[in-house]
Amino acid sequence: MTSLSGSGKRHGPRVDLGLTPVGAEANPLGAEVNLGITPAGEELDMSRRKLLRGLGLAGVAAAGGALGLVAYRDEAQAAPVEGASGQDHQWCRVVDLRACKGERKCVSACQERHGLPPEQTWMRTLSWHDETGEEFFMPVMCQMCQNPPCLNVCPVSATTKTEQGVILVDQDLCIGSRACMAACPYEARYFNWNAPAPTNRMPEPSPNTPEFPTNQIGTVGKCVLCADRIPYSNDLPACVEACPRGAHFIGDLVTDIAVNGQSTVKLSTFLREGNAVRFKEELGTNPRCYYIPGNGQTVGGPLEGVQ
Amino acid sequence: MTSVFESTAPENSQPDVVEAAMRPFRPASRQFWIAIALLTLVVVIGIAAWIYQLQNGMGVAGYTDRSFWSIYISDVVAIIGVSYGGAVVSAILLLTGASWRAPLVRLSEGMALVTVMVGALLVIPHLGRPDRLINMVLHANTASPVFWDMVAIIIYTFATLVFFLLPLVPDTATLLDSHPDELGRGRRFLFRFISRGWVGSTEQRRVLHSAMIVVAIVIIPLAVSVHSVLAWAFALVSRPGWHESIWAPYFVIAALYSGVALVILVAAGFRRGYHLEAFITTMHFVRLGFIMAALGAVYVYLTFADLLPSAYVGEAGPNEVIYGTLFGGVAVWFWLFVVAGTILPIVLIALPWTRNIWGIVIAAVLVVIAMWIKRLIMVIETSGYSRLTNSFGDLFQFTWVSAAVTLSAVAAIPLLLMLLFRVVPLLSIAEVQHLTGDTDDPVAEVSSPGKASHGRAAGTAGAVILLMVALGAVGATQAQPAYAASDPAVLRAGAADPTVNVTAVADGLENTLTATVTSSGKPVEGALVSFYESTTMFAPGDNLVPLGAVQTDATGTAEVTYEAAVTGPRTISATYLPTVLGDPVTGTATLDVTEAVSHYAPPPPRALASVGRTLVFSLFGLVIIVFIILIAQVVRVRRACRPALNESVEHVSLT
Repeated sequence: MTSLSGSGKRHGPRVDLGLTPVGAEANPLGAEVNLGITPAGEELDMSRRKLLRGLGLAGVAAAGGALGLVAYRDEAQAAPVEGASGQDHQWCRVVDLRACKGERKCVSACQERHGLPPEQTWMRTLSWHDETGEEFFMPVMCQMCQNPPCLNVCPVSATTKTEQGVILVDQDLCIGSRACMAACPYEARYFNWNAPAPTNRMPEPSPNTPEFPTNQIGTVGKCVLCADRIPYSNDLPACVEACPRGAHFIGDLVTDIAVNGQSTVKLSTFLREGNAVRFKEELGTNPRCYYIPGNGQTVGGPLEGVQ
Repeated sequence: MTSVFESTAPENSQPDVVEAAMRPFRPASRQFWIAIALLTLVVVIGIAAWIYQLQNGMGVAGYTDRSFWSIYISDVVAIIGVSYGGAVVSAILLLTGASWRAPLVRLSEGMALVTVMVGALLVIPHLGRPDRLINMVLHANTASPVFWDMVAIIIYTFATLVFFLLPLVPDTATLLDSHPDELGRGRRFLFRFISRGWVGSTEQRRVLHSAMIVVAIVIIPLAVSVHSVLAWAFALVSRPGWHESIWAPYFVIAALYSGVALVILVAAGFRRGYHLEAFITTMHFVRLGFIMAALGAVYVYLTFADLLPSAYVGEAGPNEVIYGTLFGGVAVWFWLFVVAGTILPIVLIALPWTRNIWGIVIAAVLVVIAMWIKRLIMVIETSGYSRLTNSFGDLFQFTWVSAAVTLSAVAAIPLLLMLLFRVVPLLSIAEVQHLTGDTDDPVAEVSSPGKASHGRAAGTAGAVILLMVALGAVGATQAQPAYAASDPAVLRAGAADPTVNVTAVADGLENTLTATVTSSGKPVEGALVSFYESTTMFAPGDNLVPLGAVQTDATGTAEVTYEAAVTGPRTISATYLPTVLGDPVTGTATLDVTEAVSHYAPPPPRALASVGRTLVFSLFGLVIIVFIILIAQVVRVRRACRPALNESVEHVSLT
């Protein structure tokens, strides 16, 4: 039973993290991480929290976005960006399959950063063989659908879409019905089946926000696009940073820029020239993850899975 | 005082129903208590297993990411499903005037009440965090089918309770009058509370009958809604095998089929235990058996209709799942269901030699078990199919935890029924008396108001079904245009000691960037100049975004125009690589972009998004109306009892 109570009380994490003074006993971050929130920011967040309470169902999803990426800037180098909203950024992913050679460094980097058990791979690389025996690879993670089936079916609104298009799970709301796992066409969601849930989070202890969730027993986790890192830190999402070949890009549809840690591209041109496609387009999920096909892969799902 | 209750006084007619109804209230046999003890033990072991699961995670119940939904949700579907048996015998047969149902009514209603509550409770082990169940109310997402599952189950449970309690009013009054001393203090208190004011007057019986008709009409669409929404928890996702338009009616028929089977078993059990042979006869079993066989045939038909379209078309996912059903991982269980769950029961009922109580009870046992298996394979197979690799993972494996929890729920049903019928009469005395001609005919006295409410509630029922069907609508998909191919690459040239001068001019949307390459004061022709804009996105310093590369003309000038995605000042740079190994030569300029157009446009809302919102509001309205109708029936019956209540109080005070 102790494992169940490990979640602690609900802090309203997106907000309270910014409000709790560093060193206060309730601060889950301890002294190691400078939150970099100014007093003016606190006031802003306070009024936002009041607003949030009043907004009700629809408001949680909508307002969560603004709070999500603005109020949560945990890493010290965070650059102040005024009033970032859905009009400023719309995050997306680009995976250049031409470059992927199946080293799975993105997978291990993600596992390590989020302290995931081996069977829980928020990022995974599928591989399969064609008729000639040649092996092909395809990294798959949460596709950040703009019409997310997982969000619609969640009975407690634990899955939210931020204003900037990132799909996140509030670990303190999730009741573990797994309706989202049933709904996700990309099998991008994982359940924390067994106790004890992994705890080796970085930074430690985990702030437990939707952008950087703790693993709790009995809840659902998924790729968070390292939303705590974009765009205000030195670091790119763990998978982007880890890929030695620059196959992973993080991009912004509004400013039309994508980076892979090695080069920067004009997103729209890059997608157009690479004949980018989206995974399972026919399902109407409107994903925010683009694949640049190459080396003859078919991006409709492999016929034989050899994970 | 006897004169008041004249009409319900026991008669000396053939089987004494009042005497039979009193049997469970007398000291029970040893077997009864042994059975209670054993069932309690099974229930307690199940609860202990659930606590163990709480401590160690759902993995101990056999759950994995490739069996994320499995045994508990199948248990929920199967057990809530059988409660529909009560609705059939009570409501459908009541409305069709099948008076032979009378001895079965109380048993089947009690079964409906117990099973819906046990089934609903099984949602708790299904959840990863049952401690947060309250979030279903505090943070409800009304777009979620699981939310409406909860609403439908709650309102159906309430209706079942009303349906169970209303007919108790005359029966408890009868027993209070005939055996006041044998009831015991607890029951006497309860029965007085339930039946207070009931004198059995013509008016009271007319009101009660009319109220029962209304509740019966309401409970049928409610039961349909429960099983439909349960089906939609599966069908509203795009997973092969679940995403089937037929699933809602398929679940409803499955519920009716297994529900009638359980009514047969409950009737057989209590008939044997309390020697009710005089009331529940072979005729009852045969008639229920016929209903079950007919429903079984419909279920076979729907199973075929469920499989055929996907199997015929050959789409990868649904095909793999159907192949798995017929020949693959769960084929053994599927064919066991076909033989034991449909063919054998129908044969047992069809053949005159086996069409007796034993044959029909065996058929019912087969149906109940096989229908549970069918639900389990429907759930675990699709859950085990990965839509990324288009292959099956490891299918669900039982563990002692999930088996113990399931058995505990199974044991809880007879346990609660045995205890329930120690408290309330297990025969509907009034109805049985009416059947055997002991009292006046209440049905004949039902006047037009009752019929009018009949029609009103039928309209409500129709609206429920229509709205529920509309909930199944899903949004249209949006196409994304393919990207066109673009500019070819440009050649490159070299020169010595060059410089690059950049000018950037904003003219509305068009930003013109001009670079002039000179070497020793002379313009360089054919030099490849790459233009960049700087950004602070994704990096602490300047991050260069390529804007294009152009060769210089005869005047040494290269020019690109571009549309900026965002406004604001930025640094423009132009780079020229004089030789392959030489250092790049770069010139910069600042540009204040005043007009910008982003390539990003928010996707349009789904075509049917607003329909969903309207539907949710209508459904909430409907739920409130149904609650009001149900409460109104209770109030009607209570009000009919009120004048008599005062009267009977006077009687008491006089005597």
